[in-house]
Formats: sequence, structure tokens, C-alpha cells
Amino acid sequence: MAYSDKVLDHYNNPRNVGSLDKSDQNVGTGIVGAPECGDVMKLQIKVNDATGIIDEAKFKTFGCGSAIASSSLATEWLKGKTVDEAMAIKNTDIVNELSLPPVKIHCSVLAEDAIKAAINDYKAKGATRKPAAGVEA
Amino acid sequence: MRYYEALGLEPPRLKLDAADLQKRFYARSREWHPDRFSTRPPAEQQTALEMTALINDAFRTLRDPVGRAEYVLSEHGLEASAQRGKDVPADLLEEVLELNMALEEADGEQAARSLAQFEAALAALDGQLAGLFAAWDAAPSPDNLQPVRAALNRRKYIANLVRDARKALETARES
Repeated sequence: MAYSDKVLDHYNNPRNVGSLDKSDQNVGTGIVGAPECGDVMKLQIKVNDATGIIDEAKFKTFGCGSAIASSSLATEWLKGKTVDEAMAIKNTDIVNELSLPPVKIHCSVLAEDAIKAAINDYKAKGATRKPAAGVEA
Repeated sequence: MRYYEALGLEPPRLKLDAADLQKRFYARSREWHPDRFSTRPPAEQQTALEMTALINDAFRTLRDPVGRAEYVLSEHGLEASAQRGKDVPADLLEEVLELNMALEEADGEQAARSLAQFEAALAALDGQLAGLFAAWDAAPSPDNLQPVRAALNRRKYIANLVRDARKALETARES
């Protein structure tokens, strides 16, 4: 099975590889795994308090090319989006963009799960975070 | 379960004797060999072909303990692909991530140490798996199958670490 050009591009030049400070109140971390292939994916977002916009996204994935490409693409899409916009990203968007074959759809599911886990982690930290501008405490 | 039935192994057990399995495979293969049906009506010839294919699939799946357990789990709606990662504890994922990152930076000596450590973890897990197999064989309830699913999920991650440590060791030796 051949990978699409877009998958190969992300695989060979992954965007936004790395880590953000997990203990930062504005950072949300999602770690998810797919037991059928043993992939593990960590995705982190950093949200700007004043604007509510994601201005940093990083990932670290150990898995197949499609899993790496899915998470690389996800971090590209996350930057510049609000948390609510990010929550609306669907695995099917990733499948379409990367032309993933049916056997690799679970890689996109993993990326969607990672986005949601990161956002939920960020939101869970909200209780101890200063309220964002314009939001009543 | 068709694979167990095909080799006359009902009721299904997770623990199987490898020599007995092979003997049954040979006996059933002879019994259904398409050559023996060459003068029979087409419908019977077709059945012989289908049985031979089933017997082959059954043997290939059941002879490997992990493949066998995955088969039994999927027959009970517990296939790995239906889990969506929810059955893998977060601390295991975090640990696997850390170990993988350490492996990326490892020199040959560190990779060799990691490999030995992961192989030991895999052997320990296989020992644990044998105990879980026996528990389900003694009492085939869903409660006794769920721990097998969890152990196999864990095993996949550790098996990948063994594979990656081998690769890291090779890379270190080449450079």
C-alpha cells in the first residue's frame, strides 16, 4: 500500500514536533493510544488567555506514517483556531486531507481523540486559571 | 466458534497444546483434501475446498497464542479495533512515550540495556497471560475475558518497544 504525497510530506517533514510545559495553566495535554497497532500520540495546545485562540500546538507520535501525518496535520490546523473551533475538527477532515485508505482511518481517529483530550485537559485546568478576558468569573 | 469447530476443539480453550493442534490440523486436512473429492459431485468438491481453506485459516490463527486470544476476543466483541484506546491506562501510554523518547537518544549500550529490559517485561507479561488463559478456560465468563484484552493491549506496546529497541541497537552498531 502506497502512502499519499501529503502523508509522505508530513512524515518526512513533520510540523510542530516537540513538547510544551505540561504544568503550564494555559497548556492542554492529550495522550492517546491505539492498542491494535501499539501507537502512542501526545498532542499539546497552548491557549492565549486574552484571545482564547490556540497559538501553539506540538505533538510527539510513535507509530506508523499515517499516525505521524495525522497528528502533524492536526497541529497545523489547531494553530490560530479558538478552542471551540478546534473541538469541531473531525477525523473525516483528516482522512480527506491526507487521502487515508480505510485501513488507516483509525490513525485519524487517534488524532481527533488526541485533540479532544488536549482540549479537555486545558478546560479542566480552567478552575485554577485566571478567567479569560470578557468571561465573567 | 468456527476455527475451534473446524479442528474439533470444542468447547474453545485459550490454552492449547501445540503438538495436539498440529496433529488435528494434519488429520482434518487429509480428511478434506480436495483430491479425495475429485470424482464427487461439484457441490461436494466445493465443500471440500471451503473446508480446506477454513482448516488452514483455523490452524494459522490458533497456533499463535496471541492470534488465538485475539480471535476469541473478537468472537466476543472485544477486538482491539473496537477499543478506541479507552482500554489502555493513561500511565502506560505516558510510560511508553517516555521510553520511546529515551530510545531515540540512546547509544548502543543504552539500547542493549533497554532491549534486555523490554524482553524481560514481555516474558513476564506472557507468564501473566498464561494465567489469564487458564482462568478463562476454567470459567469462560466475560469477567475473565476482559483482563485478557487489557493484557494484550499492554503486550502490543511492549512488543513494539522490543522491536524499536532492536532497531535502535542495529542503528547504533552501524554508525
